[in-house]
Amino acid sequence: MANFRSIIATISITIISISLSNALYEDQVGKFDWKRSFIGKVKHARFDNKRLIVTSHENVVASLSLKNDQILWRQVMENPQEQQPLHLHVDKDVITVSGNRNNHYVRGWDSPTGSLLWEWVIATEKSADSFWLVKDDTLVHIAPFPGSHMEVTHYNAKTGEVRWKTRKIPETWVGGTNKCAIANPYFVCVSNGQLFWFNVVNSDANTHRSQSVQTLIGESDPGNLHLLEFEGPKPAVLLVRNNNAKVVEVDEETAKALPYSLISNAIYVENAIYQLEANLENPDKLIKVKSLNLLTGQEGLSVEVDYPLGLGGPYIVAGQCRGGVCDLLLSSTDNALTLVRLPEGKVIWTREEALSNIVSVEFFELPVSELDASIEKEFAIASNDVVSMFSHRISTQTRQLYNLVLSGQLLGNSGLVRDEFGLHRIIVVATNVGKLFGIDTLTGSIVWTYRLPNVKPFKDSAMMLLVQRTARYAPLPAQCVLLAEDANTGAGVSFTFDPISGMSQRGIERLGYKIKQAFLLPHEDDDHVKPIVVVASDNAVHVYPDEGRSVVQKHSDTTFLYMLDGTIMRGYKIKANFALTQVWEVNLGPSELVAVSTRPINERVHSQGRVLPDRSVYYKYVNPNLVALATLHDDPIHKHVLSVYLIDGVTGLVLYSASHKKAKGPVHLVHSENWLVYSFFNERFRRNEIVAAELYEGHIQSNSTAFSSFGVSQLPHIQTQSYITPANPVSMTVTLTERGITNKFLLVGMSSGSVVEIPWMLLQPRFADIACGPEESCIPYMPEIPLPAEAIINYNQTLSRIRRIEVAPAKLESTSHVLVHGLDLFYTRVAPSKTFDLLKEDFDHKLIVLVLSGLIIASYVTKYLASKKTLRQAWK
Amino acid sequence: MIHMLTWFSTTFILINFCRGSNLEHDGWVNIKLEHCLLPSDSPIFTDRGNITIQSLRLGQAIVNQNSLTQEERVQLKEMAATNQFYQIRSTVVSNDGTENVFLSTIKACMLAEAQLDDRLSVSLDYTGRVIGITLLIASKSTCEGAVVPLSKLKEFTTSVYVRHPEVGPVPDTASYIQKMEREREAKERGEVKDNRSILAKYWMYIVPVVILLMVSSMANPEAAANGGGASR
Repeated sequence: MANFRSIIATISITIISISLSNALYEDQVGKFDWKRSFIGKVKHARFDNKRLIVTSHENVVASLSLKNDQILWRQVMENPQEQQPLHLHVDKDVITVSGNRNNHYVRGWDSPTGSLLWEWVIATEKSADSFWLVKDDTLVHIAPFPGSHMEVTHYNAKTGEVRWKTRKIPETWVGGTNKCAIANPYFVCVSNGQLFWFNVVNSDANTHRSQSVQTLIGESDPGNLHLLEFEGPKPAVLLVRNNNAKVVEVDEETAKALPYSLISNAIYVENAIYQLEANLENPDKLIKVKSLNLLTGQEGLSVEVDYPLGLGGPYIVAGQCRGGVCDLLLSSTDNALTLVRLPEGKVIWTREEALSNIVSVEFFELPVSELDASIEKEFAIASNDVVSMFSHRISTQTRQLYNLVLSGQLLGNSGLVRDEFGLHRIIVVATNVGKLFGIDTLTGSIVWTYRLPNVKPFKDSAMMLLVQRTARYAPLPAQCVLLAEDANTGAGVSFTFDPISGMSQRGIERLGYKIKQAFLLPHEDDDHVKPIVVVASDNAVHVYPDEGRSVVQKHSDTTFLYMLDGTIMRGYKIKANFALTQVWEVNLGPSELVAVSTRPINERVHSQGRVLPDRSVYYKYVNPNLVALATLHDDPIHKHVLSVYLIDGVTGLVLYSASHKKAKGPVHLVHSENWLVYSFFNERFRRNEIVAAELYEGHIQSNSTAFSSFGVSQLPHIQTQSYITPANPVSMTVTLTERGITNKFLLVGMSSGSVVEIPWMLLQPRFADIACGPEESCIPYMPEIPLPAEAIINYNQTLSRIRRIEVAPAKLESTSHVLVHGLDLFYTRVAPSKTFDLLKEDFDHKLIVLVLSGLIIASYVTKYLASKKTLRQAWK
Repeated sequence: MIHMLTWFSTTFILINFCRGSNLEHDGWVNIKLEHCLLPSDSPIFTDRGNITIQSLRLGQAIVNQNSLTQEERVQLKEMAATNQFYQIRSTVVSNDGTENVFLSTIKACMLAEAQLDDRLSVSLDYTGRVIGITLLIASKSTCEGAVVPLSKLKEFTTSVYVRHPEVGPVPDTASYIQKMEREREAKERGEVKDNRSILAKYWMYIVPVVILLMVSSMANPEAAANGGGASR
């Protein structure tokens, strides 16, 4: 009997797990999902015939097309927080050197395909800045130790074999990154008003050469000097003094400065030097490219560039000239990459690389179409007299008729109107460099951009996007606020804008104080604007907009907030006079706070309980004020101890706490409905584990009408269960739907670049004393979570360095929007319970109409025939 | 209400009982309780009593609290009437001499309606350090507006609950492997017995036969009737 049940169970598990995961058919690829790939802020770039080879601050090496903004290939190297690309050399193959101060990876890439040809490692014990140089197939590594000596090593670039073992060259003039530069084959430094250079490639040269800077530039006071690389026809460097640069050519004997001045961002391409200048004459074309003759400094062409207005200040990264046509690659302060073609000054393409580092995301409903708006307008006006109502009705209906006839045109000119199912949305993203983007969910194209200069994210690398008003209130536009920090002063910055058009009436507002905490009040004022409450570092309360103060005052009795100061958590209440009073305090002790999670604000819990096999209801403990926290504590015996707490944000009551010994981060927390899921690394068993905890009130619901954190009639019962994950989670979130009826899926981003959907049903803790089987629609416990390939929502499109997964409900109950961001941007829709409220795409409307009309006709025909027959029978 | 309260306290004790043993080091703490009966922007705390928990592992507490004076009772009633918040400040001195201060706030009217019967939750972390002290009132709703005579607002009857962190769950691989093992053995022994009813087992054979019979009987009712006639 038991065996048979287990067989049924296994079969049912397979069936359930197959049916739970909504795999994609081949022809559905790209139908409702899109992916954009990015490379990050460009560091080095070289032209290689018809392509560009670049490395970026995201530690990526990639090749870009010159025709369009396509990435031909991209290779993602180690974590950019630890390692950075240091050198790029493009010859027959692409050679990159990347690493930190101690370890360097030398890699060779095939330039057309991007496949890795060779790779070897240089590990040094002493850490220093390093300079790199490739001559023929020799890689020269120069490690300067300022004021003492430098170490020069020659390697075979392909094999890593040491050609000339490390030489210690005692030179006291060597300096760091700013003071030295490579002028192949020389290593040039500036020190004490003298320019020194040393041939690091040639084996004969054993001494340095030097010349005073004064003789080079003719100034008696050398001032603050630094060197930049300059790739000219002869070995040369750029000597920069007070934003004024000169090309200094060096050879075996002497150094010679060319007789003209440049700005520090100048590059040499085919006998000419190109530099950018501000164009003050033409307000439409703010940037001008100027070329100078290398030898004489005579001005050649001067071209006004069609530079896009929204981008930040540019600088030239690389250039190439072929047959009179020159391409210049510009990078800007907002990380955008632009390819400019000379002599026309035309922009070939622009890549918004700011999107490779998104810090905040919000989904916005689109406004209704003009047709719908006119219908709404009819009801907006309160009833006056009959005549005006009648005339109003007639006029709106004529307009509606007019719109209906010309609807194609009207809808065509602005495609951003709400669709029936709310699947078309605008995603507003805030990026690390302070640039805002509006992205269309259907196509993935950028609808608008807005650059905020001198803005940076808060300490936890996040900006706050707060939705004050959605597009639901038809004539009133949607309103959203971005809160961030000023890059120079650290004071708060607020920016109010319309998320659909990207327009701002007031522009950037620099607040004169540091932001400690901010939140959106869940109540609206008369204009349907939810006020935001900002707490300054001195605990002063500010409300935006000002009209919102009365709303805050009205709801001050029920407005509580918490602030985290290290691991001390304090609860406050806003008083009617806009002062904060502390109401509780929890001190989590000497540990590190690793994760905080609250329930999504717009989440709805549809079912209040779980029906048990004996038909009784086990009520969920749904507390909207819960805050989930995780801390890691260093312990002498257990290495690290992970503690997870559930704290009520109003009373400060610790509702639940659990500790895991020998656990390590990264910890990911998800709190939704009445449950909590967290993942961590178990150091003892060396595996990733996921724990699910669920809170229940029991068989009696304490208060079904209104929840109060103060009325604690009983503590929740907690069910927990733990699982092993065969992959390494880097981000975790839960699906959200409009009414919360649909099942929940956990979306887990893995380090392998896949995003997997795990049904909550698989994780939900099983009751120990209740049988689990298909009758109770319960999947028996399995310690390891199966991750079938069908559950990967990004199918075969690997996403690099997933940072976060953002979720928003669609108007269709079954569906939620998902945006995965990291180095790549991936949007898709998920339907955890399948699209139960939507007809299938291949639903045959014609057939059903045909069948129905056929049936109707047949019924009339048979009716007629039957009556004829009865008539005939009556005559018999 | 009373029934619910007792049930509530039993749950609490049950939880205590379950969690009482996973502390690595036992210790004691002394909690000095102060409360504020005159709410203002800079609250003044007056002494309320002392609580000593001699063994954190067992969670037994000695509660020693002052009774409210007539003046304090009036103040509390006034606070309850104007829907103010009643705040306590607890200073925790643990056995290693460290001192920590915690705040907790409840609605004054709830305290009055509960007739000063309150609960103190002392939460510990896995090392046995106090992380938070919260005052609770066991009640289903916030305030019912009941009038409580001053005589009932004299003595605090405080129950102290020491709450330990749970040991985090671990994946239960052992029992799962055992289960699989059992199934495998059973399969090898060929003990997979089918105990469904005959109908459940062979429905796929029975149904076509029945349908066939029905179809054939419906196809020529004349023939069946005729056959009956011939026998006569």
